[in-house]
Amino acid sequence: MSTPRIVNGIARYEHGSRVPGWDEAADLTKDPAGVPDPAVVEVPADLRLEIESYMARYPDSRSAAIPALKAAQQRYGWCSPEAIEQAACVMRLTPGYLAAVAGFYDQLETRPVGRRPVYVCTNISCSLRGADALLAALQDELGDAPDVNLRGFECLGACDIAPMVSVEGVYVGPVDADEIPELARQIRAGDEPLPAKQLINRPSQDPDASAA
Amino acid sequence: MPRPEHRSITFTIDGREVQAPENTILVDAAKLGDVEIPVFCYEPKLGQPVGACRMCLVEIEGIPKLQTGCSTPVKDGMVVHTQTARVKEAQAAVVEFLLINHPLDCPVCDKGGECPLQDISYGWGGGTTRFIEPKRHFVKPLELSPLIAIDRERCILCYRCVRFSQEVSEDYQLVLHERGAATFVGTFDGHPYVAPFSGNIIELCPVGALTSRPYRFRARPWDIEGSGSVCTLCPAQCNVSFTVRDERVLRVLARQNDGVDDGWLCDKGRFAYQSVHSDERVTQPLLRDGGELRPVSWERALATAAGLLKKAGAGVAGLAGGESTNEEGFLLQRLIREVLGSSHVDAAGVDPVDLWSLARPDLQASLQDVEYAHTVLVLGTEPVDDMPILDLRIRKGVRRNRVKLAVATARPSSLDASAALSVRYAPGGEGAFVTALTAAVYGGDVDAPAAAAGADVDAIRTLAELLRTGGGDDDNRAPGDVVIVWGTRLLGADGGAVTPALLKLASGLALTGRDGGGLLAVPASTNERGLLEAGVAPGLAPGFGDTGAAGESYAEAGIARALRDGDLTALYLLHDDPILSRPDAVGWDRALEKATTVVAHAQFLTAGLREHATVVFPAESYAEKEGTVTHPDGRVQRLRPAIGRQGQTRPEWWVLSELSRRLGADMGILTGAMASRQLFDAVPFYAGLTLDRIGGRGVRWPADPAAAAAFPPPPEVRRDVAYETTATPNGALRLGTFRSIWAGIEVELSPALTFLTPRQQVEMAPADARRLGVAHGDKVVVAGDGASLEATVVLRNAASPGSVFLQTGIQTDAANGLDAALVEIHKA
Amino acid sequence: MTQKILFKNIDEPGLATLDVYRARGGYGERLRMALSMSRDALVEELKASGLRGRGGAGFSMGTKASFLPKGQLDKYLVCNADESEPGTFKDRELMQKCPHMLIEGMIIAAYAAGANRSFIYLRGEYEQQADILERAVHEAKVAGFIGDRILGTDLSLSMWVHRGAGAYICGEETALLDSLEGKRGNPRLKPPFPANQGLYQGPTLINNVETLATLPHIIEMGAEHYAKIGVQNSTGTKLVSVSGHVQRPGNYEIELGMSSRDIIYGLAGGPGEGRSVKLWFPGGSSSPVLTGDDLDLSYDFDTLAKAGTMLGSGAIIVADDQSSVVDIALKTAQFYRHESCGKCTPCREGTNWTVKMLERIKSGDATPMDLDLMASVCENIIGNCLCVLGDAMAMPIGSMVKKFRGEFEEYIEAARAAAERELLAGLAPTQPVAA
Repeated sequence: MSTPRIVNGIARYEHGSRVPGWDEAADLTKDPAGVPDPAVVEVPADLRLEIESYMARYPDSRSAAIPALKAAQQRYGWCSPEAIEQAACVMRLTPGYLAAVAGFYDQLETRPVGRRPVYVCTNISCSLRGADALLAALQDELGDAPDVNLRGFECLGACDIAPMVSVEGVYVGPVDADEIPELARQIRAGDEPLPAKQLINRPSQDPDASAA
Repeated sequence: MPRPEHRSITFTIDGREVQAPENTILVDAAKLGDVEIPVFCYEPKLGQPVGACRMCLVEIEGIPKLQTGCSTPVKDGMVVHTQTARVKEAQAAVVEFLLINHPLDCPVCDKGGECPLQDISYGWGGGTTRFIEPKRHFVKPLELSPLIAIDRERCILCYRCVRFSQEVSEDYQLVLHERGAATFVGTFDGHPYVAPFSGNIIELCPVGALTSRPYRFRARPWDIEGSGSVCTLCPAQCNVSFTVRDERVLRVLARQNDGVDDGWLCDKGRFAYQSVHSDERVTQPLLRDGGELRPVSWERALATAAGLLKKAGAGVAGLAGGESTNEEGFLLQRLIREVLGSSHVDAAGVDPVDLWSLARPDLQASLQDVEYAHTVLVLGTEPVDDMPILDLRIRKGVRRNRVKLAVATARPSSLDASAALSVRYAPGGEGAFVTALTAAVYGGDVDAPAAAAGADVDAIRTLAELLRTGGGDDDNRAPGDVVIVWGTRLLGADGGAVTPALLKLASGLALTGRDGGGLLAVPASTNERGLLEAGVAPGLAPGFGDTGAAGESYAEAGIARALRDGDLTALYLLHDDPILSRPDAVGWDRALEKATTVVAHAQFLTAGLREHATVVFPAESYAEKEGTVTHPDGRVQRLRPAIGRQGQTRPEWWVLSELSRRLGADMGILTGAMASRQLFDAVPFYAGLTLDRIGGRGVRWPADPAAAAAFPPPPEVRRDVAYETTATPNGALRLGTFRSIWAGIEVELSPALTFLTPRQQVEMAPADARRLGVAHGDKVVVAGDGASLEATVVLRNAASPGSVFLQTGIQTDAANGLDAALVEIHKA
Repeated sequence: MTQKILFKNIDEPGLATLDVYRARGGYGERLRMALSMSRDALVEELKASGLRGRGGAGFSMGTKASFLPKGQLDKYLVCNADESEPGTFKDRELMQKCPHMLIEGMIIAAYAAGANRSFIYLRGEYEQQADILERAVHEAKVAGFIGDRILGTDLSLSMWVHRGAGAYICGEETALLDSLEGKRGNPRLKPPFPANQGLYQGPTLINNVETLATLPHIIEMGAEHYAKIGVQNSTGTKLVSVSGHVQRPGNYEIELGMSSRDIIYGLAGGPGEGRSVKLWFPGGSSSPVLTGDDLDLSYDFDTLAKAGTMLGSGAIIVADDQSSVVDIALKTAQFYRHESCGKCTPCREGTNWTVKMLERIKSGDATPMDLDLMASVCENIIGNCLCVLGDAMAMPIGSMVKKFRGEFEEYIEAARAAAERELLAGLAPTQPVAA
């Protein structure tokens, strides 16, 4: 799989398309991908247990597709063929089924990426407050960090702290331009990101909220 | 489950009052008023409408928004408009959207001329586009599988193909990747989409995105003719339409018949037509001369055969293979019995009285009953292998009508995942298992036969409970409509015990004379039922009549023994090679070796014929044949020739009649239709059938009260037959067999399908593999009773420890080379 | 000052714990009272409160609950916590700070609907909130508020937090159900509606977080009292998320019927010094935009509908006079193209086409005629799609083209001129030009 070039801010693959995968034929030397047989596919015991515990929550175990894929992604860094095959083996589904689910959701990665997701919201409210510049600056700072999966993301539901970043699920913002190098350093080092700007500690803005 | 009934209502469409059954989907109901509403994603065969393409938007009075005709059931008094400006604008807009990225490469597209997108763009589109950006361009076509090419530029994302994979064949291999405008159809990690029914997506695709690789660029729609017939490659007998160009079959399409195939085909049925034009076809008569088969004239072949048969006289036995038509079988038994004075003629190879008893019309379920029953029991058969299209019907019933499915087999079944309950028994325990199940339903000792079957007693009791209570509710426990789909191979395993138990089970579940329930046999070969009814069975004349023959009439195994012992000297083979198709290949090899004369009708020189045939007549393929076959549910169906016979091939009925004339008896047959006439006259419950009446849809005789009344009552079956006990492994492994859907010479000789030719594999449980020190993929030698063969280990988690399974029906290393109940396995 | 119902004491330390929540009256008399009513009486009470769904569609909550068939069926309650509408972040604050209010509301809703299994479908990005919710659900289970025979009544209820994985469309209720069933989150055809055939084909009540969290308060204060808050057809208080070019972005609990100006300027502080409001989305990015002239509209369901837009999820996004409407349109369209599930044609192709046209405008390859084309494409999307996502792009984009056509035309001319200059100068691809 080639990596896309960025042309006018748009990722384009070698064939000129913005869509990866379209140019891929099936590999006729492979066998068809049916439901993996537990006698043939080995699944790490802890991963199996975790997925089985999700399956038990629902009247139809198929509902555990997203949690199972997240668990597998957690283990392998992305929804690799191996990860999907193992999840499919536990769930008694075809890997194709889970690959289709994985491809639908933004948080499930169908191509190898850094293990640690860092999302920069680039939706309307954040972009009105400088999100595009924030993303570009972070890309400059973190472009070479191999285990970071830095990407622009659609609205993360934190427009009150725009522009904002989700560092492995921890929301921080508003990120001022002069804080970007520090934030990048923290992300790279795996430190707590901008402790003073974390959403979790932000009080309500409603002036009367705390009054009785 | 009761089938839906609809009352008729009146609705108005474009100012016309139209009568339609209530709740018919508007798109379909509109057709009754000669109004066409364009659709792409709508295809009722795929289940519930999805309303994705938005092509069928129409205006319904009283509803402000335009509605999708594909999802709107018609109601009385509904007023529909399809020609208003609003509707036309919306439909033109959808066409414009769909064509944004469609390449419009119709001149080089295989679908051109038979393309719904072309037709709808022409009929409902605006004729121009306002989209001026560059379209997408991709490498194309790509291989989706060895059989199917995919052109993603052309795809309009109607999702028919993925819905088929997910909701009809339920193989879940073909999926959508990504989302939104980036969505594309594909498989997991580049694996090819190879599945028993994959070819149906080609026919479903409303654009040229999915095309048949074998058919690509072979013809344009105006070059071809369609010719309706029946596929005789398996007992499903799907209705097909051969696409013919210049006397060659270029394609096979489904010819929807809801009573038979629901409009689907398996890939064998869709692509094995290529074998019709194989260079391997026998196209002229062959005669053994100096140890080798050499081409000779028809005259010489006929004269020689007649002479040899005359010499053998009553020492001739006849065997008909499952692909023989009713007429061919009927004439064969006339030749053997009336002309040569022998009584040894067989097709099915099992006790015909068993088959007779279990084919009673009052016990007969129709294929459609499977879809609407309360409970379906799949007993001793793997539908996807033995009668593929039945697999789809069973899944449809479970998915759409909540049919409760139970599976009772020795080998893990592909239906297990859909089943409410799956029960396993050990190979060899068939009779004991059915006895135990019957006892559990009817009363009696369950423990002993369950133990003899190697099956779990509790599971059998649960199964019995499911069968007994499937139709009622908690307060009123009733069996309801139960369909028992049973493999006739059970009779070969332990027929003496299976038949009485199965009959008792059916009556215990009140299936006698029941509409909507009963027995449905899955025969071991295509026309097993028809050949039986046409009298190709030891001791039974056409229509289960009395042959009047004195002494014993040998069945298949008896014929082999008699040939080996010299009691019989000649064998007449109609579309059959016993070494390939019958149990005990070793014994048959010796029998053919010993026979002085072997006359065969064959399309291909398979191993047994090449070695042993004396005279070989070139046989017609199913695309060249006329005649009838009988579906396992009693539907008599008609074959019609689609192409001329290859080379010097002459029809089998002519050869049989000509031989008969040369042997001094005139059968009175000058045309194929006359053979049919004779057959219909000879079989009491075929009375009144004509080829015209059978037509393109067939006639189910058990559903005709007069025909059912003419069915001769079978003799009482013995009820005291002891079941056999499954072998005790004692360190060895029990041997079970199965026949893959891909087994058969037609697959091997069709270039498109060759890649699917099965190789011998031994399926076993991981525990057994560990014990034997073999791993998945290892080459091993399987040995039993003095013979051995090579196989590849396939581990299956669901396999029962202690038993292994090998394939039959394959050209090399077939399981019928081992005539053993127990086998040993070691690394090759 | 608006009466605080949901946000009362919202910043109280430890409110997310069971103990503090109970000390504030949670799971107390009001829950007992709700569960002691007959199901029909409870549904009537909810209807009488006039509470309309807070997720975006604004459908009467009580009426929705009354649609579920009666009888011994497996019924489901699903909380739609997939808060993804751009500009919306109210549920996040509520769940994070007072998760038990949602849980208590769900118990009441489950009782009203006759449901015995419930799920909170939470957007996957809200990981910290998910942890808090899961802790709270666990606490409630241990304390016996979730489980068999709650408070000794016949009500048994299970509850799980289901985390999504990033897809805006899963906020659409039928897509949410497909996603919760482990499928790709594609919307379903309606009918059948979830009340009849929802999760696992069973009758299902789906409500937004804020809607459900309001229920304990309605029971406590009585429907009649609650219905007096707000204005006709828009009763009660509403959490409003204000963001964009305002000085104090955040969530505010308002009484419905408040003037929009008071929200944007009074509460959120309005745009910065010397700036003015150019356009604003009154109910998330799916709502047709309003301009600075519309600030005196009363903020309630009916008034906004009359003004040709909608209250939606109650998310106000403000753009000041220095922002470019072309940029906002492109961001909006790109978002919907990215989030279109691809199931139906007009949305999949129409959002894609609209983005391409806006990109052309940006790069100087467009003419004013393209604005007519864009408006026509939007018209062709509206009302022709399977769900409302296509409309959700077409309506705001259509409104922007209509209300700011002059600015679009100026932008097109400027971009064309710039592109021509650069072409003549033999320069590399054009840079966007500020209007």
